[in-house]
Amino acid sequence: MGKKIDSKENRMVPVQIDYDHIDVSNIMDQIKAQIAERPKASPLELQQRLQEGRSIEPQPGPRPEPEGPAGPRSRTKRIMLKVMKPFAPVIKFLVLPVHEELRQTILSLDRTNRRLDSLCATMEDELRKLNISIGEGLSETNKRIDEALLELHMSRDYTKLLHNLSHNIVVELTKLKIEEESLKSKVRIMEKDLEFLQKRGKALEKLALK
Amino acid sequence: MKLAFVVQRYGLEISGGAELHCRWVAEHMAKYTQVEVLTTKAYDYITWKNHYPHDREDINGIPVRRFPVDRTRNPERFGRIQNFILGNEHKETDELRWLEEEGPHVPALIAHLKEHREEYDYFLFWSYRYYQSYWGIRTVPEKSILVPTAEHDPVVHLRIFRKLFQVPQAFIYNSVEERKMINSLSRNDSVPGDVVGVGSEIPTDISGERFRSKYNVVGDYIIYIGRIDENKGCHKLFEYFLAFKKETGSPVKLFLAGSTVLKIPSHPDIVYLGFVSEQDKFDALNGALLLAMPSFYESLSMVALEAWALGKPVLANARCEVLKGQCLRSKAGLFYESSEEFGEALKLLLSSEKLRQAMGENGRRYFGQNYAWEVIESKYLKILEQLEARKREGE
Repeated sequence: MGKKIDSKENRMVPVQIDYDHIDVSNIMDQIKAQIAERPKASPLELQQRLQEGRSIEPQPGPRPEPEGPAGPRSRTKRIMLKVMKPFAPVIKFLVLPVHEELRQTILSLDRTNRRLDSLCATMEDELRKLNISIGEGLSETNKRIDEALLELHMSRDYTKLLHNLSHNIVVELTKLKIEEESLKSKVRIMEKDLEFLQKRGKALEKLALK
Repeated sequence: MKLAFVVQRYGLEISGGAELHCRWVAEHMAKYTQVEVLTTKAYDYITWKNHYPHDREDINGIPVRRFPVDRTRNPERFGRIQNFILGNEHKETDELRWLEEEGPHVPALIAHLKEHREEYDYFLFWSYRYYQSYWGIRTVPEKSILVPTAEHDPVVHLRIFRKLFQVPQAFIYNSVEERKMINSLSRNDSVPGDVVGVGSEIPTDISGERFRSKYNVVGDYIIYIGRIDENKGCHKLFEYFLAFKKETGSPVKLFLAGSTVLKIPSHPDIVYLGFVSEQDKFDALNGALLLAMPSFYESLSMVALEAWALGKPVLANARCEVLKGQCLRSKAGLFYESSEEFGEALKLLLSSEKLRQAMGENGRRYFGQNYAWEVIESKYLKILEQLEARKREGE
C-alpha cells in the first residue's frame, strides 16, 4: 500500500509508505534521497539569497535568465557583475551549499584539531620542563663528577708526594745508617788510638818517674 | 523491604526531569515496598540554595527526609571549572573539584547513609552527575542501584564517572541508547541492569477543543513542550520552522509551552503560551498535529512518551541518539538533521493525515507495551528480586 505525496514546489519522487507497517528508517531514507536529488542552486542565486537574508536552501525550478540590455537597473546589474567577477570564486566558495553532515564533520575535525593543539602545547610545556629538569640534573651530576675527579687528582698527587717523601726518607735513613756505621768505625779507631796513647802515656810516666 | 530514593531535589513543585521521574517511581513503588526519599532542601537547581524549611515531610504519602546544602553553587566559578576540565588535560582531582562545585553539597545526607545503611535494603540513586549520587554510591556500594538519567553530554566522559559506573549493584536505564553509551564508556556490561524508563500520569479527561476555546486557537498547529532553551535545540527549531514557512507558505503554527530562557522570534505563527498547567499541557498536546522535539540531549523524553500515549507523532532531532532510537523503535516519529530534512519531514507529516494516524497508533502501542505503569513497576520489582536472589546465593 502506498501513497503519493507531491510537494507544491518540487514535484519529485513521492515518498512511498506502507501504512500498515510503518518503516521510519525507510521513510527517512527516501526523504534524504529526495533532498540529495534536488537541483543545486547557482552561486549567483545563493548570493542573492544571502543578500536577502534568506537561508541557503536550494530552490527548484529554472534559473532566471539574465535581463536584457534595456533599462538602468540591468545596466547597473551588469556593471556590478563585471566588477564582482574577480571575486566570483571567493563568493562561490562562501555560498556553496555545504551539506550539514560535512559541516558537522568539519566542526568535529576542528574540535579535534583544537584538542590536539592543546595537547601539543601541553606536551611541549612538559618537554620543556623535562629538558630543564634533565639539564639541571646533568649539570649537578657533572659538577659532582668534576669535584670527585679533582679530589682524585689531588689524592693521586698526595700519594705521589708521599711516595717521594717515603723514598727520600729511606734514602736519608740509609745515608744516616752508613754515616753512623762510618762514625762508629771512626770512634772504634779513635778508641784504639786513645788506648794506644794511654798505654804510651803510662809507659812514658813510668820512664819519667824512674 | 525498605527502599531509599536518593535524589537532588524533591517536591510537587518540581515538574520535570529526573526529580519528577524519581517522585513518580517512588509513589508507584510504595504500593509494594516501604519507601523513603532522601533529598536536599534545595529547590533552585542553579544555586542549590536551601528552600524547604522542614527536615521531614510527607509528600503524597511518601516520607521525605531533607538535608541542608551547606554550600551554594557559584555558577561563574562552576562554569570556569567546567570549561577547564572539558577543554584541557586535567587530573582526577580537578574532576572531583568540578563535582564539589556542581553540588548539591550535602555531606549530612552522605553521613546519614553511612550511619543508617542497615535500616535500608537498597538505595536508588537518581542522576549520576550530582554530588549525592557519586559520594552516596561510594558510601553504600553494596546496596546501591543507579538510575543514571545520562545524556550524551561531555561530562559523562569524565574519569570519575567511568569508574563510578562499575560500582553499583544494578542499573536502571532510561533507554537502550543510554545503556549502550554507559556500557561502552565504562565496560560495565557485567553489572545487572534493565532498560525501564518511566511511565506517565495521563489524565483521563483530555480535550483539544477545550484548549482551542480557552486560548482562542484557530487552525492547525504543532507544539513544543518543555524549557525553551538553546540547550534544548529551540533556536534551531525556530530557524527551521521559519525556513519551512517561507518555503512552503504553510499556515501551520508553532506553539510553545514552558518556561523560557531564550528570546522567541517575533512571528505571528510562533505562539508562546508560557508555563501551562498539566491539564492545559495535555489538552494542547491533544489538539496539536504533532510534537516537535528539537533537543540535542535527552536520556528519555517524557513529553515524547506523553505525545505517543495520546496518539500524536513526534518530529525529533536526529542528533539526539535517544530520540532517534525511540522514533525508530516506536515507528511513531520522524527525525531531522538539517533544515531541509526538517522541512521535508514536516511537510510529509502535515500533508498526510493517514501517516499521522498510523504513527499515532504505533505510538499508543509503544507506550502501552513499554511505558505503562504496570510494565515499569514489574521491571523494578524484577531487578529487586534478582538482587535479592543474588544476595541469597552469596549467603
